[in-house]
Amino acid sequence: MFKHFQTGNAIKSIIFLALIFFLGKIFDPYNQGQLSVVLIYFIGILSITFLTGLSGQISLGQGALMAVGGYTCALVVLNLGLTYWQSIIIAVLVSLIAGWILGITAARLSGPYLAGTTLVIALAIPSLATRFESVFGGDVGLSVDYGTPPEWLSGAIGEIGYEQWQLFAVLPFATIALYLALNLFKSRTGRSWRAVRDHEIAASLAGINVQRIKIFTFVVASGFAGLAGAMYGLRGIVGPSVYPVSLSLALLTGAILGGLRSISGAFFGAALVVFLPDLIEFITGSWDLAPQIGNYLPAMVSGILLILTVVLNPAGIAGALHHHKPRHK
Amino acid sequence: MEQFLSAVFAGTASGAIYALVALGLVLVWRGAGVINFAQMGQAMFSTYVASTMIMNGYSYWVAFFVALAVGTALGTVVDLLVMRPLSGKRSSAMLASPAMRGTVPVIASLGILGILQSAAGMIWAAEERGFPAPVSTLGLSIGGTVMPFTAFDLFVIGIVILTLIVTTIFFQKTGMGLAMRASALNPEVARLSGIRTSSVRTLSWAISGAASSLAGLLVTPNANLSPNTLDLILIIGFTACVIGGLDSLPGGVLGGFILGLGISFVNVYSSPSDIFLAILALLLIVLLVRPQGILGSKEVRRV
Repeated sequence: MFKHFQTGNAIKSIIFLALIFFLGKIFDPYNQGQLSVVLIYFIGILSITFLTGLSGQISLGQGALMAVGGYTCALVVLNLGLTYWQSIIIAVLVSLIAGWILGITAARLSGPYLAGTTLVIALAIPSLATRFESVFGGDVGLSVDYGTPPEWLSGAIGEIGYEQWQLFAVLPFATIALYLALNLFKSRTGRSWRAVRDHEIAASLAGINVQRIKIFTFVVASGFAGLAGAMYGLRGIVGPSVYPVSLSLALLTGAILGGLRSISGAFFGAALVVFLPDLIEFITGSWDLAPQIGNYLPAMVSGILLILTVVLNPAGIAGALHHHKPRHK
Repeated sequence: MEQFLSAVFAGTASGAIYALVALGLVLVWRGAGVINFAQMGQAMFSTYVASTMIMNGYSYWVAFFVALAVGTALGTVVDLLVMRPLSGKRSSAMLASPAMRGTVPVIASLGILGILQSAAGMIWAAEERGFPAPVSTLGLSIGGTVMPFTAFDLFVIGIVILTLIVTTIFFQKTGMGLAMRASALNPEVARLSGIRTSSVRTLSWAISGAASSLAGLLVTPNANLSPNTLDLILIIGFTACVIGGLDSLPGGVLGGFILGLGISFVNVYSSPSDIFLAILALLLIVLLVRPQGILGSKEVRRV
């Protein structure tokens, strides 16, 4: 599947790394923290880009897969005493298995059936945490963190703040995720996904094992979601309130607004979802709004944007920016 | 025994409400090919309207019928403003494949849900408030012994059965009901025989809106009203439809009662925190063993 790793993709990924690193140096601590959430959402949204954008399967339950990654990571850190990045790798492996199990069930479903089932999964998985309280820490959750930055890094680039370290700990994983995604898009697997999305029967006549490729999509998407979930939890707490249904819906919203079928769209969507409340606060800060209006304004705006995007501009921000180029089919 | 009986009665009453929710979902699925995840958002909104009227001194029944009218109007507006423009875009790249035609309306309905919930939060300040029942919600006592059910349980079951009878008569005996059945069965042929399929579709959304606002009015006396309270009911209603068969109205109703009893037993004999796991388990078993549901027909699932 990775026969044609292209140098162009490596260069793009390194530019991404450098750019985010640069932003991390100039942003204030609050925005460094927000940027780390953008990177985590970016990885989570990429899982939706593969599932929904490329292979046409909807999931409203990516938050549950993130919870699988997060809880695995926290349990490994707390019980086995491994470092955070070793735990992240184990979390991704466990998420791949979870995705395989989910995929076997979900590959038989489509459209609204899949949407409803994954939504129920998004509700049920966090309730396991309160069911088996002694293992998963109940409603409070398990507390974990990224630890302190290694000395060689602070020696090389100077003092590293708390939020800045969260960002720099996430950044290498986001870069790897971007590199893998860029290659997957152009690979034989990516083409098979698009074929299955556009015409299942034609795809199977062309020699694609439709069931197997659908399950494989879930495995890959779950790996990405698990990675995002592990890093999301490592920001402080792994608990049911960290992975609510609204997280799954926020990721889906980001995927749609940014552009469901493009990698840059996943990043635009992540940035939009994370920074939208700040942006609205910035615009309306001087308007003297009643607090209840201010509290609900971001949800209102993203709902409106979601509908406008779906009806008027289905290809999202990325599609609007790239409309002069020939479209990826 | 007493515990068992009270579980049965509570389950039947809540099952009646889930049956209404399922009825609303199946109506829109058959009529428009969309699962409306905003349905209970519409119900929440109309129940808030009724609650505000009652707080301002109107009688329960005036508020009741205004809420039904608001629910009907919301269903109509959702179709006219969002779903009809969306279905006119079948040739766009995003909606070209069947897989995406099932997916994109779901996303749009989630957007509507977000708008309705944030609008309710803005208008009613997201305060949790109770909602009155027209009759007592305490255990009914007959001749000194307290029965395992309440007068409100009987009211709910009665009003739902009445609704089901009216709906059945509408679909079996009226011309409009016949047109709706024909459009659901084969839109192409229905259009050729002179049925305005787009009006029929809007009518499905309107009736579904009324049914779900009724469900909202009946469920809130036992649960506090807040912008998010009815989300769980939607999940249960959806599961009910899948169990009964997404394209069958009796199936959805049957699924509603099965789930109502099932959840009531989990509640009484296990713990409320197991409800989601029980729903998930039931949903997965049905989808793996009989994916078309108990009363569903096989072909329609391939839309």
